[in-house]
Amino acid sequence: MRLVWKLLRRHISIGQLLGFFLAGLLGMTIVLLSLQFYRDVRPIFSEEDGIIRPDYLILNKKVSSLDAIGLGSAGTFSEREMKELESQPFAKRVGAFTASKYKVSCNMGIDGMAAFGTEMFFESVPDAFVDVNLQKWHFSEGDDVVPIILPKTYLAIYNFGFAQSQNLPKLSENVVGMVEMTITMRGNGLSESIKGRVTGFSSRLNTILAPESFIRWSNLRYAPEADTTPSRIILEVSNPADDSILHYINNKGYEMEEDKLDAGRMTFFLRLVAGIVMLVGLLISLLSFFILMLSIYLLVEKNTEKMRTLLLIGYSPSRVAMPYQLLTIGLNAAVLLLALGLLCLVRSLYMQRLRTVFPDVGGESILPALLFGLALFVAVSLANALIIRRRINTIWKG
Amino acid sequence: MLSGTLPNVFLGRTGIQSDIWRQQVTFEKGKTYLIEAASGTGKSSLLSFIIGYRHDFDGRILFDGTDIRRFGTAEWTNLRQEHVSILFQELRLFPELTAMENVEIKNSLTRFKERKEIERWFEVLGIGDKMHSPVRQMSFGQQQRVAMIRALVQPFDFLLADEPISHLDEANSQVMASIMMEEARRQGAGIVVTSIGKHMDLPYDKTFRL
Repeated sequence: MRLVWKLLRRHISIGQLLGFFLAGLLGMTIVLLSLQFYRDVRPIFSEEDGIIRPDYLILNKKVSSLDAIGLGSAGTFSEREMKELESQPFAKRVGAFTASKYKVSCNMGIDGMAAFGTEMFFESVPDAFVDVNLQKWHFSEGDDVVPIILPKTYLAIYNFGFAQSQNLPKLSENVVGMVEMTITMRGNGLSESIKGRVTGFSSRLNTILAPESFIRWSNLRYAPEADTTPSRIILEVSNPADDSILHYINNKGYEMEEDKLDAGRMTFFLRLVAGIVMLVGLLISLLSFFILMLSIYLLVEKNTEKMRTLLLIGYSPSRVAMPYQLLTIGLNAAVLLLALGLLCLVRSLYMQRLRTVFPDVGGESILPALLFGLALFVAVSLANALIIRRRINTIWKG
Repeated sequence: MLSGTLPNVFLGRTGIQSDIWRQQVTFEKGKTYLIEAASGTGKSSLLSFIIGYRHDFDGRILFDGTDIRRFGTAEWTNLRQEHVSILFQELRLFPELTAMENVEIKNSLTRFKERKEIERWFEVLGIGDKMHSPVRQMSFGQQQRVAMIRALVQPFDFLLADEPISHLDEANSQVMASIMMEEARRQGAGIVVTSIGKHMDLPYDKTFRL
């Protein structure tokens, strides 16, 4: 093998192989980086809501100017209206939002220091509409902690507005779960406090959600006489894209809460850009593949006589092909390893940047990029090895 | 065994007078043959056909009753490694390797010969001092001897030697002939020597005129 290599390494052009190496490295790095960047950034755009599923719609009535001066129907849904909605063919389930009818204030503290205090309110929907572990989403009389779900925008307001201006640390969703929250409820001559714990964030709900059992209990305790007809309802539909839903809603003068951030469109553009960049990377990789093949072809051409002699003195075509096959596989492996190294390096740079703005990012593993790179390596190496072998076979045939 | 074999380029010719072409010829193991030929009578073509390098012939060539046209890559590789050794007229040495490396590259295929024996052959053939010189710096006669050693470092049933002594003096021809005979006897192999002029002094069992 050593002697065969000594023989066949003649006429190897370092320049050509270097050219392949650089082009291959560039292509592979771009491919892996676009893939990894897409995966790292996508969670920021895709507001995947683990709490309210996309086939749940939230409806309210249009607030008219009559309501503002107290003459309208106060924008509430009557029992009859809800029954009618539930009987529609597109509807699967209807649930009412129940609001707290007493005064609520809330103090948040970090390390025992009060940092943030506000008046607020609670609402609840039937527990079946909330996609949270029911063990966590649970309240019964006598409990000293109540789980709540906050709108994602609250966290954004805190992180980008409040924390930045007050030099406070930015909070991820997980950290907020550990923040201490004291909720004070007043009404019916009572003023009592209870601890609150954030169990989740929702981007589709513009309200502070508490378990239904808690609202029922607290409304009875602090505002026993209040009317609890719902002003918002939640509706489970079989197909959210169904036209008849929109038609019905418009006819009735209802309003549907739309996602504020058009996440779908952003994700689409992100995917498009990442796809284009990856395509460019693949093209460069393809180009480098041709450079390598051209270089090997020239090499085989220049060494044809030697290879023919090797075959005539008893070397098999596979043994004659092996040195060049190993050469290309080695080069490809070097390209892959270096590209992975570059990927990690560049990723650590942009992740640093991203984390200052989006503390939650960074959970994505690089395994898919690694596997993709490996697959590319195997495919390219196999193609190389096959082409070289076929070249040797033509020499064999004379 | 050759049966009615003829190179394609001769197909149009009439009146071919040959002991081999268009004849039924059988080479047997353990025997020594001389093929005498004038140039242009297809001597090298014949060896190319037998070694599977060229296939442009008419008729049939058989090894132990098997038509070589049925041989695949594996059969040819095995044949060249274990059964038929050839000393090419044009030698086909690798100029960038040393004399010893040229032999080793062949010997490494089957590990047939000990390094010691190879070195002894170098000494006996009078090129012991050239063992580690690049082949391109050697004379054709010296290269012929290296090529001979390379042809001997494998198991074979037949040794084909295409004008093996064209550039050797009488003394070296004698040495080469005795080494060749000795090795062929040890292996019980047949020898086929071609020549267009002076031929190696061997106890030929049969002489063909091509």
